[in-house]
Amino acid sequence: MSPSNVLPRAVARFLLLPIGMIAVALFVKGLSSTGDGFAAGTVAALGVALQYVVFGHREAERCLPVRRAPLAAVVGLALGIAIGFAPLLSGDPAFTHLPPAGEKVAKLGTLELATSVAFDAAIFLTVFGMVVGIVRELAWAAEQETEEA
Amino acid sequence: MTLDRRTVPTEAPEARTSEAGSATSDRTGRTAESGAAADGHPPARPDGPFPPAAALAATLAALAFAATLYAWLRGGGSIDLPWAPTLGLRLHFRLDALGALYALLATGIGAVVFLYSGRYLRLHLSHQGRPARDERSFYAFMLLFTVSMVGLATAQDLLLLFVFWDLTAIASYFLIGFDRHEAASWSGALMALLVTGITAVLLLVGSVMLFVAYGTFSLPEIIAEARPGPALTVAAALIALAGLAKSAQVPFHFWLPNAMAAPTPVSAYLHSAAMVAAGVLLIGRTYPLLQESELVLDGMLVVGLASMLAGGLIALTRERLKQVLAYSTVAQYGYMVALYGLGGAAGAAGGAFVVAAHALAKSALFMVSGAVTRASGGEERLGRLGGRWRTMPVVAGAGALAAAALAGLPLTAGFFKDELLFKAALEHGPVVTALVAAGPVLTLAYIGRFWGRIFLGSPKEAPTGPRSLATTLVAPIAVLALISLVFGLWTAPLESLAAEAGSVSLGGEPAGLSVAYHLDARATNLIALGVYTLGGLLLATYPRWLPVAQAFALVALRFGPERAYVSSLRQANRLSSALHRFEVRDLRRRVAAVLVPCGVLVTAGFLATPTLGQYEVGPLDGRDAPLAIVLALAAAAALAAMAPRSQLVLVLVLSSAGYSLAAVFALLGAPDVALVAVLVETLFALLFVAVFSLLPGGVLDREQSLSVPPSRRWRDPLIAVVSGLFALAVVWGTLSSPVPRGPRISERLIELAPAAHAQDVVTAILSDFRGLDTLAEATVLLIALAGVGGALSRARSS
Repeated sequence: MSPSNVLPRAVARFLLLPIGMIAVALFVKGLSSTGDGFAAGTVAALGVALQYVVFGHREAERCLPVRRAPLAAVVGLALGIAIGFAPLLSGDPAFTHLPPAGEKVAKLGTLELATSVAFDAAIFLTVFGMVVGIVRELAWAAEQETEEA
Repeated sequence: MTLDRRTVPTEAPEARTSEAGSATSDRTGRTAESGAAADGHPPARPDGPFPPAAALAATLAALAFAATLYAWLRGGGSIDLPWAPTLGLRLHFRLDALGALYALLATGIGAVVFLYSGRYLRLHLSHQGRPARDERSFYAFMLLFTVSMVGLATAQDLLLLFVFWDLTAIASYFLIGFDRHEAASWSGALMALLVTGITAVLLLVGSVMLFVAYGTFSLPEIIAEARPGPALTVAAALIALAGLAKSAQVPFHFWLPNAMAAPTPVSAYLHSAAMVAAGVLLIGRTYPLLQESELVLDGMLVVGLASMLAGGLIALTRERLKQVLAYSTVAQYGYMVALYGLGGAAGAAGGAFVVAAHALAKSALFMVSGAVTRASGGEERLGRLGGRWRTMPVVAGAGALAAAALAGLPLTAGFFKDELLFKAALEHGPVVTALVAAGPVLTLAYIGRFWGRIFLGSPKEAPTGPRSLATTLVAPIAVLALISLVFGLWTAPLESLAAEAGSVSLGGEPAGLSVAYHLDARATNLIALGVYTLGGLLLATYPRWLPVAQAFALVALRFGPERAYVSSLRQANRLSSALHRFEVRDLRRRVAAVLVPCGVLVTAGFLATPTLGQYEVGPLDGRDAPLAIVLALAAAAALAAMAPRSQLVLVLVLSSAGYSLAAVFALLGAPDVALVAVLVETLFALLFVAVFSLLPGGVLDREQSLSVPPSRRWRDPLIAVVSGLFALAVVWGTLSSPVPRGPRISERLIELAPAAHAQDVVTAILSDFRGLDTLAEATVLLIALAGVGGALSRARSS
């Protein structure tokens, strides 16, 4: 570890929490203000990508539970499909969200408890899982490359 | 097992398709002595306890058979559930006589064949050195096939019928290709899938035509309203074509001999009682529509007669056991198609009767061929067999019964199948009768040759297989042969079922069917006697006739429809590789392959829409200065992207163009889009750097120093300029909105957002209004992830 690495490492480590906060904020404010599951997922994934860039994939994966990222994408998509098509079971068109228009939404702070928010969460998982998955694949491929060189 | 058996010659896709091109029917019966996949598991043992998977499958099928029989005896019944109500689709099943007949065949013969498969498959796998666990997928697909066949038999909705139709094709693909290390299996499976799958589209087209005409996919409703006319004729002809292809009728018959690469139980089931029967089932099910048109009926009669004669003649010349039986199936389904083509009560009820009589006999005969082959160490050429009655008398006896049933000898159910055919033909004059009678003559000759060459005479080679066959290999044959005999003596059950099935096919009219022995000089008896005499004569003297039949077979195989299939498959393959080479070989072409067609389509769009005078340049005042500056930055970055020789600089320049555009969105008051643009741009910059780090350094430098061929010196800039101009035209056109102004969708969306509990319209659009689009895009993301993972891990392993 060269001394020139110390600063980026410290900054990357310190930034992880704020980045996560921003991601959560973007998601929670989804319905009321700028931001949604897609943006939140991208921000969170960028936070993880930063760790990969600074620490390398081995160390990044040691302290972050991202090995199962592709699974998160799969779960997210399955969740999205389930939420989107569940109304079909009761005879409604797909993507009929609850509670229906005109009714009051229960709120948990800023977070609305509506199925459209749950769908947004599914998109969050898919985007996050996909980006982190690709970053992982590239990181491991890069290692292979340097080993062969 | 020695190590050399563990070489795994997995077929490359290219090899597979090209094999499909060169496969001829005689190569398919080949059995592999080695070269099977072992995958580190011990190969199957031929002995040991009865495989539980086979026992389970046989029990399930037998239970389904019992349930179907019980339900049918209790008067049938129907299930009608909504499927997609807005399209008028219903999950509508009804156990009527026609459905009961085919469902009983599928489950009953299925149970017997599963019992037979237990021991047979173990022998088959151990012969190829494959592990016993390979049999799991076999039973899974066999059961899937049974289920889809029962669904097909009882479905009352055309689209439902189509779904089960394709399910049977899919199951058949995996079953025929069960020996996945053999090219013949692959090509045979692909051929069966393509021939029956492409013609299945005709069924769909016919169904949609009927939907357009009558507003429903429900068969009973369509039949109640059907009026003869050209549209109905075309729809009926298309449906009949799908049925003919599935039943392996000329000119689609060639897939069946090639499907003989399947393990014998698959043939005993699919290629005698199920897959091929599905075609005739469809014809019987849609018969009220088909018989509205004389043309369709006449066409079916011609196809049936042609299949009967061609199949019979070629069967006489085949050397491999299963090939004889395959061509015999083509000929026998010709009987049924001809019966339906002859029409009337005799035809419709007769067709149903023949299906059952034939399925019993042919399934038993396929199992005979499997038992003989297994007992002879894999030998399946007639010339190498002989005298087998000594070592396997029970198989010989049961085989004789089944052969007699196929040949239509008295005291078997098969006798009536010929009688019904003669009776229906007699109504259509002497020419048709003579042609129809030629079928049974050939049948008697080829099946007599088949049985005699296996069991009579003296053994050509000492049997190398196991001394005695397992009971479960012999008993199923005996059971089916005995049922054939029982139905030949006690005709009432099959008679009434076939009569009622015929009445379903006639749209409810009663179809009288009298099946009994009459010891008098009536026309059908005389024809039968004539057939026996001629058939016996042909059998006794067939070596003399053989060259004629062989010449016919040679011409039919060399210039028949199989050749057309093979050459069209080759052409399609060639076209595909040419396109692939053109598009994928280098990145420039790939980009051009997207941009140039886009440009052409946009031009076509512009030429088709009058846009003159619609393009406007809006006023530009001081408040637009920031926007203009940012746009100028983006343009400058785009131009600068042509120069750099370092990959890192290139990435940065491209990103700065992206960030400038994000700033444009922010200035135009679209914070959501701006946020996403910034995030995506950051991500792309990162990923680009990561990908470029995988490339060898100095690629751009080397690229610059290469001399550009003159053709490309002009081509690439031209493509760039043209596609840029088209992009400009699209953007300009959108901004000056040449479409007539009216209520905008965007205004409506903003109005609706509060109803979706959202203040942020973009989120409401993404998660609610256009949720389905979002879901589709999320699916694309996942596929992209899988693609990246696949590409990189392949690069890693190579």
